Amino acid sequence: MSTTRRAIPIATVVVGLVLCLAGLGVATYLTIEHFNTSLTLACPDTGTINCQKVTTSQYSHVLGIPVAVLGLFYFVVALPLFTPQAWRSPSPAVRLVRFGWVGAGMAMVLYLVWAEFFGVSAICLWCTSVHVVTFLLFCLVAFTEAWVPPAHPAQAS
Amino acid sequence: MANKDQPSTPAQTSGTSKSAGKAARRQAAQAELRRVQLQQRRNRLVWMGTVVVTVVAIFAVVIVFGIMRNGGSGAKTTAATAKLTKTMASIPSSAYDSPSVVMPTNPPVSLNGATPLTEGGKPRVLYVGAEYCPFCAAERWAMVSALSRFGTFTGLGQTTSSGRDYAPNTPTLSFHGATFTSKYLVFKGYETQSNQVQGGSYAPLDKLSSADGKIFDKYDFSPYFTGSNAQGAIPFIDFAGKYASQGASYSPLMFAGLTHQKVADDITDPSTEISKSVLGTANVFTAAICQLTHNQPSSVCSASGVTAAASALPQ
Repeated sequence: MSTTRRAIPIATVVVGLVLCLAGLGVATYLTIEHFNTSLTLACPDTGTINCQKVTTSQYSHVLGIPVAVLGLFYFVVALPLFTPQAWRSPSPAVRLVRFGWVGAGMAMVLYLVWAEFFGVSAICLWCTSVHVVTFLLFCLVAFTEAWVPPAHPAQAS
Repeated sequence: MANKDQPSTPAQTSGTSKSAGKAARRQAAQAELRRVQLQQRRNRLVWMGTVVVTVVAIFAVVIVFGIMRNGGSGAKTTAATAKLTKTMASIPSSAYDSPSVVMPTNPPVSLNGATPLTEGGKPRVLYVGAEYCPFCAAERWAMVSALSRFGTFTGLGQTTSSGRDYAPNTPTLSFHGATFTSKYLVFKGYETQSNQVQGGSYAPLDKLSSADGKIFDKYDFSPYFTGSNAQGAIPFIDFAGKYASQGASYSPLMFAGLTHQKVADDITDPSTEISKSVLGTANVFTAAICQLTHNQPSSVCSASGVTAAASALPQ
């Protein structure tokens, strides 16, 4: 018995890839800035908007791993899950992994937003742009999964 | 070939109606399938919509509470944890004597001609600050470090500076309600205002006694501290009428995002920037107090960090 490939709108595929690439770009910039001490983020460093304060706070590491590196890892893994082949795959495992991945991303974003407001008392604009991209990816996956039915076994003609 | 004008036979009529019935059934089944699929899609949309709306609501709550918190009061003052108090009271002498400690850029000034400040025959150290003040928040770590070498604090609070001032929510200790016992000196700390906004200002806390108010009004101003921003500024520390200190000796920004215990742990680690700054200032304060206690206790006053810091004091 064969299964049909899912009919995913092309716009969904394009938007997903663009968001992944945008997130990957910002996460790469934040990672380079983390390891290159001579580089400073293009961001105000006084008042509530203060990238430096956030990226050097104790919340900038999770289990000893820099959050910037975790962000980069997140988008490196996300990219293949948002390719046309992955979207159209009839495998329930691919859908489950993609949904779980964006769900985990949202949980991490929620923790980091809490840390910014309640731990560091400052907002990092670059980090916020990654949070927004992660949120949009979550919405994209949620509504695509709701709109497009899961693949059914192909009917014999 | 059949004549098209010829009427159908009964067998032909029966076959046609059978295939028409089959087509109708197929159409009905397809319509039912479409109806079920639409219903399933609606259910999935409702479910996923609920998930997304829930996530958005959680974010909204976090952001709104975060903005409200950052827009005003600092954390409510609570009793310092036993672990925090113990860490601050047991900073190793090797950390104080580390060669990497940094001398403060604004060491205490001399109060030439001032009446010595004593209580019960002991020199008296006076501190005036406020819980909302970020510079007081920074300086208290050095004050507690230095004084803990001469006696014991009980009832210290832990709090943060204001959420809407410079270096918002700087973690710190509070002298409000704290007592200090020592056989070498007397310490009195005033926190004149809390970090809680009340009617557009910070709630009042400790009221200076008349005598301490006069000392503050006299020695926290010109000619001891010059510049328009320095008149009556806090934190103000009077070392028994011999020296006085005003403002922070290092930036409160270095404590951003740290927990109280993390700050205390960093102070005990001479490799951290916090330890270098806090203990450098604590050594200068210790050297100033040693001059008041006639270099007692000798184990503290003869420590290499303290003797080196004494050079920062005015002669």
